[in-house]
Amino acid sequence: MRSDALTKIYDGKTVVDHISFEIPKGKVVSFIGPNGAGKSTVIGMLSRLIARDGGTAEFEGKDVAKWKSGELAKRLAILTQTNNIQMKLTVWELVAFGRFPYSGSHLTERDNQAVRQAIEYMELTDLTDSFIDELSGGQRQRAYIAMVIAQDTEYVLLDEPTNNLDIYHASNMMKIIRRLCDELGKTVILVLHEINYAAFYSDVICAFVDGKIAAFGSVKEVMNPTTLSAIYGVDFEMIEVNGKPLSIYY
Amino acid sequence: MTASKAASHRQGVTAARRCGESEGASSLSGSISDSISGSISASVGRSSARKIAVMSLLALIAAAAYMLVSVNPKFAAYAFKLRAPKLITILITAFAIGGATVVFQTVINNNIVTPCLLGMNALYTMVHTMIVFFFNTGSVAFANRNVSFAVDLVVMSFASMIIYGWLFKKTKYNVLYVLLVGTVLANFFGSMQSTMVRVMDPNEYDALLVTLVASFSKVNADIITFALALMAVVIFALRKELALLNVITLGKEQAINLGVDYDATIRRLLLGVTIFITIATALVGPISFLGLIIANLSRQLFKTYRHAYLIAGSALFGMIALVAGQTVVEHVFVYSVPVSVFVTVGGGVYFLFLLMRRKAV
Ligand SMILES: Nc1ncnc2c1ncn2[C@@H]1O[C@H](COP(=O)(O)OP(=O)(O)OP(=O)(O)O)[C@@H](O)[C@H]1O
Ligand SMILES: [Mg+2]
Repeated sequence: MRSDALTKIYDGKTVVDHISFEIPKGKVVSFIGPNGAGKSTVIGMLSRLIARDGGTAEFEGKDVAKWKSGELAKRLAILTQTNNIQMKLTVWELVAFGRFPYSGSHLTERDNQAVRQAIEYMELTDLTDSFIDELSGGQRQRAYIAMVIAQDTEYVLLDEPTNNLDIYHASNMMKIIRRLCDELGKTVILVLHEINYAAFYSDVICAFVDGKIAAFGSVKEVMNPTTLSAIYGVDFEMIEVNGKPLSIYY
Repeated sequence: MTASKAASHRQGVTAARRCGESEGASSLSGSISDSISGSISASVGRSSARKIAVMSLLALIAAAAYMLVSVNPKFAAYAFKLRAPKLITILITAFAIGGATVVFQTVINNNIVTPCLLGMNALYTMVHTMIVFFFNTGSVAFANRNVSFAVDLVVMSFASMIIYGWLFKKTKYNVLYVLLVGTVLANFFGSMQSTMVRVMDPNEYDALLVTLVASFSKVNADIITFALALMAVVIFALRKELALLNVITLGKEQAINLGVDYDATIRRLLLGVTIFITIATALVGPISFLGLIIANLSRQLFKTYRHAYLIAGSALFGMIALVAGQTVVEHVFVYSVPVSVFVTVGGGVYFLFLLMRRKAV
């Protein structure tokens, strides 16, 4: 997956400014950066949810806009930052929608298996028959992620998956992302605000500031006080835990 | 910020309570709880099917009552000949409005909006008047009911695709804007229509009025066959799009993620809605709140995202209400109060109830 001079303009304001990168396959790639830096917009353009105003976004050598939507849905899944549903829907029914690209509305035994597994991954088994609109924010977030997992695509794009999650479920989420990559060989692109999660669990970090890439590289390359201070405008101190750089800020 | 926190706190509490209730189940292994969930969704399906069966029965009873109440056996054949077209028309109307409203609400992802609130009825009235205005009542485009209906349909389809397609795109499906602009448009169509009527030849106006103020007591039965055939064609042509309704429920972004060609699908469904509303309006005239009532009753009763049930339920609610209502109107009120008055009064109250209950749109 690669982009070249990717650009988005809202009302004359350039919010994504000629961004070029290539996402390495089979890696966990974290997007970090301050609010409004353009992370969600980039993810949206990569996954055909948002129309771009310039540049290219290619998936497997083919423009994402040229892919048949139904084909792309089997290879790339996206979870956006905010989701709301008007309809009465249980957790099981929501997660089962993840199988729609494969089987439509008639699920096979294999589909049911995938749904069950995704629900177990996200530890939602007890809530299988609860209605989505009656869950807590974090439980709902996990249900949506379970749906994306059930979709079982090579590429998974997650916009702030740890949003709303408590410390236990957030770190669990990150471990699951690692497993998706290490055990199932998926490429995961995620937006994170907790930079220590990014440091601890990702292979590559891409930092955005004002619609431009401020840093792109391995964890070690990006996670240093100078770079981080330049990105966030906050003072950082670094320590090392288990051979990984962790940042302290206050 | 605080409000959303409070809301998520509230949801947390209810969820916790739910967890408490199902504590017994939480110790079950994955596979058992899965078979439970399977059986629950199966039983939901079964109970929905039962509800549909009961409603169909009620609709049948209402239809029988309408046909049979105070029929003089000596003139039974004559009475049936008089009543049957009306009954069929009412059934078609209920199906058209019930189905179209559910589809429309799903497309725009909001349950208190109906095509009528956006002025589709008013647009029809204007289009119909316009045809008389430009071609006059003697023309083929008007004199033959079927031809005039076809002309209405074509003009309506184009006009509404342009107007509403544009409206939805511009407002990015923001319901409040859509409602606001829709209300303004409804007024605008209304004024255009009355302006044309004012400058019209009085005889022309008389002829126009006859076709314009169709009602349940005076249905436009000439076009029943045409309407039925057209509805069948539309449903067949849109079968793929209709099957996507369940996924569209998840919202634009999720639908695209799951591989729906969103914009094209929405456009086609919207065209179908327009045609169905045009059919209903041409048959019995505008009935503003009917769709709102029956679609929401159906959503309340079935509590599901499955559109097969929602659409069938909505149509059946409409059939029961309209047929029973018309029976009462004809035999108890002896035509003094038309059924549309009940629909409008009841619908207004129900609309307020929905608004109050939801608090936020
Ligand atoms: N639909 C829109 N219309 C107009 N401006 C928009 C729209 N969506 C985003 N923007 C603007 O684009 C910029 C980038 O937004 P984006 O959502 O990509 O930021 P982000 O990096 O994801 O931020 P956050 O961390 O807060 O999620 C912001 O300045 C935002 O105001
Ligand atoms: Mg964002």
